[in-house]
Amino acid sequence: MYSASAATACWRCQERVGGPVCVGCAALQPAPTAPDFYALLGVARRYHLDLEAVDAKYRALARQLHPDRYVKKSAQERQSALLWTAHLNEARRVLRDPIRRARYLATGRPDMPESGGPRLDPAFLEEIMEWREEAEGDPEAVRGKASACAAELEAELEAVLTAWEEGRGGLEVVGDRLARLRYVQGMR
Amino acid sequence: MANIGIDLGTTNSLVAILVDGKPRCLLGDDGAAMLPSAVRYAPEGGVTVGAEARAEAPRYPGRTFTSVKRFMGRAPADCAADAQLFRYEMDTSEDRFVRFNVRADSGAPFRAVTPTEVSAEILKALKHRAVECMFGEPGGAVITVPAYFDDAQRQATKDAARLAGLEVLRLLNEPTAAAIAYGLNRRERGVFAVYDLGGGTFDISILELNDGVFQVMSTAGDTHLGGDDFDRAVAALLIARAGGPALSDAGWRDIIQSAEAARRALSAAETVTVALPADLGTQALSRADVEAAILPVLERTGASCRQAISDAGLKADQIEAVVLVGGTTRTPLVRRYVEDLFGRAPFCDLNPDEVVAIGASIQAELLSSSSTFSEDLLLLDVIPLSLGLEVMGGVVEKFIPRCSTIPISKSETFTTHVDDQTAIDLHIVQGDRELARDNRSLARFALRGLPPLPAGIPRIKVEFLVDADGLLKVSAREEYTGIAAQVDVKPSYGLTEDEIEQMLESSIDNAEEDVSVRMLIEARVEGEGILSALGKAMRDRELLEPGEGERIDAVAAQLETAMAGEVYKTIQDLSKLLDQVSAPFAQRRIERDLTRALSGQSAASVADHLASRRAVESDVESDHV
Repeated sequence: MYSASAATACWRCQERVGGPVCVGCAALQPAPTAPDFYALLGVARRYHLDLEAVDAKYRALARQLHPDRYVKKSAQERQSALLWTAHLNEARRVLRDPIRRARYLATGRPDMPESGGPRLDPAFLEEIMEWREEAEGDPEAVRGKASACAAELEAELEAVLTAWEEGRGGLEVVGDRLARLRYVQGMR
Repeated sequence: MANIGIDLGTTNSLVAILVDGKPRCLLGDDGAAMLPSAVRYAPEGGVTVGAEARAEAPRYPGRTFTSVKRFMGRAPADCAADAQLFRYEMDTSEDRFVRFNVRADSGAPFRAVTPTEVSAEILKALKHRAVECMFGEPGGAVITVPAYFDDAQRQATKDAARLAGLEVLRLLNEPTAAAIAYGLNRRERGVFAVYDLGGGTFDISILELNDGVFQVMSTAGDTHLGGDDFDRAVAALLIARAGGPALSDAGWRDIIQSAEAARRALSAAETVTVALPADLGTQALSRADVEAAILPVLERTGASCRQAISDAGLKADQIEAVVLVGGTTRTPLVRRYVEDLFGRAPFCDLNPDEVVAIGASIQAELLSSSSTFSEDLLLLDVIPLSLGLEVMGGVVEKFIPRCSTIPISKSETFTTHVDDQTAIDLHIVQGDRELARDNRSLARFALRGLPPLPAGIPRIKVEFLVDADGLLKVSAREEYTGIAAQVDVKPSYGLTEDEIEQMLESSIDNAEEDVSVRMLIEARVEGEGILSALGKAMRDRELLEPGEGERIDAVAAQLETAMAGEVYKTIQDLSKLLDQVSAPFAQRRIERDLTRALSGQSAASVADHLASRRAVESDVESDHV
């Protein structure tokens, strides 16, 4: 289930382990550097998630892996607990948030980089310029257009992600649509 | 040994442990649980901590420090106003951390101290309490900090513990500790608010409990708002009513004390008469007067509460319980204000002064491996301020947003701008403003020892890791070559590792001084005991051999002279010598007493003699210990 540490030997007792904690000797295994968030939380790789279930999985793992549980253990295990829990916290943050979750599924990165992100389609930007001209300086009209466009983008994303879940298509457009969504949301 | 919980407060500090599963605050020699967070330095090197230092602060303004928590981990420039308020003289030669000059009563400076060192003295005093109570060193400590404390302030707290020789198991947010003390963790689930108005800090935290996981959803507050501000507001009212006289330092301190006493009394009474210092007479003060004076201060807490509720994505009516913490919440107006704010009566059954220490001791027990407490409780904290990186143009790129659950890690990839560049400087700031200069600088991390490669080729992956205490650690590696960069941390505010080491060394020197002071006191006590027992025995001069009395008297005189001096070794040696030269005489007295007892002397008189013999004997014994 834990892709990054699947079936490796325990550092202490050499038992084959698939989870963060050795089934043989209860030693905490080293944390992977970049775990898959779905695999980490043990959640099926889907866009539509039961958030209560995500939280429950998160809590069960956090109780097991939190540094507070390793206060009296070796420095190595304390450091591993810190890293495991850091990954868990990040995994929950990403999976609980629909936008980050969509971006993570599509691009493998949960956050849009503040610089060097995907370039917006010039045609899309032209469209926005047109709204502004039509609105003739009425900010309410621009906001109305932006809201309508955001709703359209959300519907499109929902359709794309649902189709992907059902095995009817890919996620190629998701990154671009999310960037557009952020842009128009900034205008509202 | 058992773990301890410490509430290191601005105004008062406490230490608690679990006794038979029940949390108890440990009492000081004065019978009080609260140790005033006041420290006085003596020019000859001694330190006085607690009630005495607080009470006598007006007499020794140049060398007494209170409320140093306000200065922990802050920049001198940011708290110059505070220093002025408390009449502390900052060492202006240092701009990276606060250091106060300590002056003898003559005005001559004799040392400088950082708030970290002052806090360490408070922690030492609390540790001493624990050692006395438990007959041994505590295992480790959970120390509470305001939830709003930033990285530098948390680090300064940890540094103080290190100087005090305490192992920190966890820095715990004060409101979280309070919720634990109230047993809110025993509920199945819920959303709670903890309103903590202490002497010098205000925190509001929204906590969520779910299946035994206790999490801070949001936190807001002001490290700069508390009962002290109430007292100043009331003092300002008193001064204004007295016609606004100019006050001396002592006069100002006195009037603050009068204001504090009046405010506390008005928690129960409707009116009080306040005696003003100097020749300003008396004034009648009503609860309404005080409430009008403190309301503007209190309203500043409302803004933070609304911020915390909205950060948690909630409305006020979704909060199921409100807990009050801090002595200032005894003020009736505060309770009414909180009730209005949240639309429900707050919890206030526990002593609001002890709540945090109690919660800390429960958490300390949870962290001990022998814990019999529920293994199911887990506390998760959030980071109070966003962390960001200063990029081109002084703009901040946030990499860890405010209220993220910690521990958390983020990695960013950087490259070089010039060929063969082997170093990169990263400036980390905390806060939510767009520009680096509007945020609080946290540290500069210098990555050194990068492999020399053409510009733009290296991929330097920098890992930012915020640990469970909310402290940032940075590591870096060039991805193609796998070469780890050396990371030098230059904290913007606060002490460097080297400076802490130096303080530790000098505190060990001081510890030696402390030991010799203690030995001197013990030797004097011992010498006095011998002299007094001998003085009584020497009334039986008929038992002395010729010349023996003179010899004993001569050594006794030498011992008395030595006891007036400072050299404990001399006192010890002379005490031993005196015992030796008086031993035959003591033996003869015992023999005589026995003879008398056998020849029908009164039992009472024999008992009396035997008692004085025992006194001499026990001195002899203690000498050999």
